[in-house]
Amino acid sequence: MTPHSMTHRLLSPPLAPQPDTAAGTQTGTTHLTEQAHLTEEQFGELFATNAAPATPATALANAHLLSCAQCAAEFASLRESLSLFRQASSAYAGNELRRQPPITLPDRPMFSPALEPAYLAAAAAILLAAFLPMQALRRAALQPAPSMVSGITDRSAQSDEALLEDINREISASVPTPMQALADPTADTDTPIQNSPQRKD
Amino acid sequence: MATEDIQTFPATSLTIGTGARTTALDDLETVVALYQPRVFRFLLASLRDRDAAETLTQETFLRAWSARASFREDCSIATWLIRIALNLARDHTRTGRFRFWKHLSTTAVDVSEVAASLPNHQASAEASLIAQERVRQIWQTVAGLSDRQRTIFLLRFLEEMDIPEIAAVTGMPLGTVKSHLYRALNVIRTRHSSAANNSTTGETL
Repeated sequence: MTPHSMTHRLLSPPLAPQPDTAAGTQTGTTHLTEQAHLTEEQFGELFATNAAPATPATALANAHLLSCAQCAAEFASLRESLSLFRQASSAYAGNELRRQPPITLPDRPMFSPALEPAYLAAAAAILLAAFLPMQALRRAALQPAPSMVSGITDRSAQSDEALLEDINREISASVPTPMQALADPTADTDTPIQNSPQRKD
Repeated sequence: MATEDIQTFPATSLTIGTGARTTALDDLETVVALYQPRVFRFLLASLRDRDAAETLTQETFLRAWSARASFREDCSIATWLIRIALNLARDHTRTGRFRFWKHLSTTAVDVSEVAASLPNHQASAEASLIAQERVRQIWQTVAGLSDRQRTIFLLRFLEEMDIPEIAAVTGMPLGTVKSHLYRALNVIRTRHSSAANNSTTGETL
């Protein structure tokens, strides 16, 4: 016999109703006084709530505990064991926690998120304050001084005039007719022109 | 919910300006001081490994800090933190690496140490030993429960959460939570009764 089946035999009479469904639970609680011992669900209901307001099901189960010494003893024993389990686990975890180094958390934020709009406005103001003088300086650098500009324009006007004169001179020069022999460009030179040895080859 | 561990904490939000919002989680040092023991206890009982519990406890608070803007305060901070811790524990235990190292781990929780940590409120040495034996037995039985049953059992009987709170943490329907809780409790109860009967029989013989 397994411990499970043995416990069921101890807790419930052979023909006692053992409802499994929610509807069956209601039936089971209705006939609780006729039932020898608490069912699994009724036991669970008793443990499922902390000092909550009693439902009809738990009220009947509690009433049964008052009249059934076996169920009452088992309930009390299990509740005590669960309480011991919690005490021991909490004490053990507490001891272990004390041995551990503290949690290293990210640095606290320098700025509160609540003041984020104010920080954004301040940052924008700082940017503007830095940007405007820079722009003013840049504009000033791009604009040349008036005296320099006039000097430069005078000089460029003179050079332009000289250039135009040269162009006019070349245009107005006499153009040779097609049949006229071209002047010998080598007439002035004394040394004869020597061809390159590569050509000879 | 247990009132002995969970201290009252201001859950109100303070709205400043347009959309800027501060929550109770902004004061992280206070949050850690208040809830670290509870988160660590739950993870230690779930994973049964000190190193893993320590690492995941730290990770829980880091995640909470990173995601504090998403905390809508529709549940308590404790519930929110335990939910994060539970998700981390699930991810951790799913990996084969966890199962491998669990076999080799030297930081696994020794059930005898847990039982020995029991505060000695018993009248006699014998009663103290019996109490330790009961703790040892429940601790071992809880290890044999399925993951869901164990989680719900620990949330109920270690963290003393109500059924709706457990449903909020696990994301399960109320009926499913109850069903797992009853089954877990029945396993514990069966072993408990069996051990009690055995001890009674031993005494009689």
